[in-house]
Amino acid sequence: MNISKLNIENFKCFDGKFSLSFNSGINIIVGNNEAGKSTILEAIHLALTGIYNGRYLRNELSQYLFNIDATNRFLNNIKSDDKTPLPHVNIEVFLENGDESMIALLEGNGNSDRETASGIRLKIEFDESYKDEYEKLIEKETLDSIPIEYYKITWKSFARSTISSRSIPLKSALIDSSSNRYQNGSDVYISRIVKEHLDSKQKAEISQAYRKLKENFMEEDSIKEINKQIKEGSNISNKDVKIAVDLQTQNAWESSLMTYLDEIPFHQIGKGEQCIIKTNLALAHKKTEDANLVLLEEPESHLSHSKLNEFVKSISDKCCDKQVILSTHSSFVANKLGLKNLVFLNKNNQVKLSDLKSGTQDFFMKLPGYDTLRLVLSKKAVLVEGPSDELIFQKAYMIKNDGRLPIEDGIDVISVGLSFKRFLTIAEKMNKCVAVITDNDGDYNSKIINKYKDFKNMDNIKIFADENNVLNTLEPQFVEANNWEMLKKIVVSEKCQNSCKTKAELIDYMIKNKTTWALRIFESDEKVEFPEYIKNAVRWCGE
Amino acid sequence: MNDNKLILSVAGSGKTTYLVKKALETPYSEKILITTYTEANEEEIRSKFIKINKYIPANITIQTWFSFLLQHGVRPFQGSLNEIMFEKDVESMILVNKQSGKRYVGINGPVYWSEKEFEKYYFTKSFNIYSDKISKFIIKCNDASSEAVINRISRIYDHIFVDEVQDLAGYDLEILKLLFASKTKILLVGDPRQITYLTHTERKYGKYKDGKIKEFFENELGNIIGCEIDEKTLIKSHRNNNEICKLSSQLYPEFEPSQPCECCCREEVGHKGVFIVKKCDVEHYLNKYNPIQLRWDRKTKVNENFGVMNFGESKGKTYDRVLIYPTQRMKDCIKDRSKCNDIKSGRAKFYVALTRAKYSASIVMDFEENESFDGAEKWKPN
Repeated sequence: MNISKLNIENFKCFDGKFSLSFNSGINIIVGNNEAGKSTILEAIHLALTGIYNGRYLRNELSQYLFNIDATNRFLNNIKSDDKTPLPHVNIEVFLENGDESMIALLEGNGNSDRETASGIRLKIEFDESYKDEYEKLIEKETLDSIPIEYYKITWKSFARSTISSRSIPLKSALIDSSSNRYQNGSDVYISRIVKEHLDSKQKAEISQAYRKLKENFMEEDSIKEINKQIKEGSNISNKDVKIAVDLQTQNAWESSLMTYLDEIPFHQIGKGEQCIIKTNLALAHKKTEDANLVLLEEPESHLSHSKLNEFVKSISDKCCDKQVILSTHSSFVANKLGLKNLVFLNKNNQVKLSDLKSGTQDFFMKLPGYDTLRLVLSKKAVLVEGPSDELIFQKAYMIKNDGRLPIEDGIDVISVGLSFKRFLTIAEKMNKCVAVITDNDGDYNSKIINKYKDFKNMDNIKIFADENNVLNTLEPQFVEANNWEMLKKIVVSEKCQNSCKTKAELIDYMIKNKTTWALRIFESDEKVEFPEYIKNAVRWCGE
Repeated sequence: MNDNKLILSVAGSGKTTYLVKKALETPYSEKILITTYTEANEEEIRSKFIKINKYIPANITIQTWFSFLLQHGVRPFQGSLNEIMFEKDVESMILVNKQSGKRYVGINGPVYWSEKEFEKYYFTKSFNIYSDKISKFIIKCNDASSEAVINRISRIYDHIFVDEVQDLAGYDLEILKLLFASKTKILLVGDPRQITYLTHTERKYGKYKDGKIKEFFENELGNIIGCEIDEKTLIKSHRNNNEICKLSSQLYPEFEPSQPCECCCREEVGHKGVFIVKKCDVEHYLNKYNPIQLRWDRKTKVNENFGVMNFGESKGKTYDRVLIYPTQRMKDCIKDRSKCNDIKSGRAKFYVALTRAKYSASIVMDFEENESFDGAEKWKPN
């Protein structure tokens, strides 16, 4: 069983209704900070477990769960119209591909899309039984917050039957950077995951063993003696006072027992190792009757590059029959797990790369070092071949824009080597505004016109190159644009000034010292001219 | 699809045990729903499971017919009917024993809301659905959702067992008919003689009221939907002896007469059979045999020092001996069996009362010295 779709309404950063669909395997959510990546993971986990921030939401209702804009709109409108409906939070998880009987059991049209589907709906809404109290309240005073004390949580299947976390066949494991712990320090999530490994008989056995342990404690002679003393010596109360171990809750063992790793308490080991273990545990879930969903928040944040590589490999190897939804900022993670699975979030909007050609996906899987996510996250991007092109373009941009770097205006300049077309296929799918600055390599017709003919008619993609085949790369282009002797003074080191006697020798020197000359231009205050196609690219940035 | 079956049983034939055993024989991978009309019988089925199997296996769900209708009939696709129903919660059902949705009482009797007044017709003010209209509501839901209701149920359950099926009527039968056509295998068990609950005032399938459930399945299913009707499997009573079987069967000449089983070892006790006890001898009789007294309702005078129960309540129970306080029509029927049909719904209650007893079923009725009763003995204190 897996999630096919998520609907969120008014929950945290989502104002109004937002919808996101998932595929049954790996899903990679990327987006800028505040785009709602973590909220999506939290919402799914909440709808499937009733747990938010490591606690049961039932006891933790607060108005901060509501979207701030929706809240403010309500508080504004209620001033003039006391019939304004109170806002509600609605999270819906659509399920598919499970045991037919289970899927049917959760099926109905009790969802905001009003379609026949199988799924679960968690709603934080006004409790109609407080109608009178609420009406009296708004008559008397103006509201400055949502009257959360009159709210209730309803948790139902799409068949409108009330459900509990036990009856939900899809078990979710959220692995995030926060550390939600029980009072004794043992980790909420790990005990949850461990618990879900056990069948009901084993759980009962642990409970019993734990209770016995506590009872034995009471039977200890020393404890008996102590209790006797307390009873005799204390005037605290006329009732019987004694020391005992807390046996209140049915699942007391869960919060009192600690998970150990090589004799070290779980929460004492490194965050990175914790993350790997939790994920592997969740992925190795042995109970076949329950499906499993792994929610991972930015796994790269605690892992070194080599650990990350190992981690990503174990996800892609083991997740074959499990659904994984992860958020990341790492191009490496995204490339490795397959760019096809990428979902890009942007201001309550989403773009997917699901129909990306498999050749392109394979390319980035094999060469995961490429900064694909920079392209995905940028407002506008300029693709160049290498560092010298990058430096020259940046310099040209700064001169035109009062010394601001392109990135300060949201324009990301990315060195992509020779893989321009790979990046352009991503840009095409995402409708990103992308410029390519490239050499004509001495054959404008085949190296530019023919090579990029697929992108010719796209408004969002622009290729900047010079038509003159004689000026085949950046160096001759740059020399041509300037007085070569003046240029020589800037780019050639003092020691070598004499060895460049002709224009051709200067070009040759520059080709041999690619990054050096570009860096000198970048750092120099002298006025230089830029080739026309680079100036055009700078102009394009301002459009 | 020919995997559907209706088994007509007789009182005391162990049909609940039969259903429970059938459910336990079914492979664990198949999901089973067992449903019945009354809460008392639902409880009976549960305790039967515990008795036979110690626990109820996870693939078996037991719920009353109304709870099933609410959970799987009303709620999943209520939104298909109209806009209001999408977000409304139907918390529960209100059990009514008269036609519901009264608008006002006019000179010619009560006037009811018409179906066009959707909310008032089906629901109370606090939006609980009326029991007499719940199955009609479901049929409408199913039609409006291109059969999503029945389709969903048939995917959840591989088998549905209905106990006391004779209690279902009106649109309930329409729901059964739709389930019959689905891939779920349906097993119905019931005793058409024992209709004690009839809360449906709906005219739908009115001609199959009063125990004509067998005729419904014979006439209304058409050629495509199959249903095997079995009148032999549960014909033997494990409870009643020959005399009680014989007399109680005479109340319903249209059905196969019941027989005492040969499998149970019957203790040799004195005072076996059906007896007529004079009113003045009741106290003596009670003291001697300690039977449970069975009556129509609280208005019937009984001896308060001994156990007593209404006919309806006694359904499903077993006693060694019973003492029945008959209505006038029941008395007529004892005197002349051809008049049994005249007691109408009382006939079922009389049948239930008689068949509670293992050894003796006695009837309080004065008689003349020269009178004789077919199948029953006159009792005299000696």
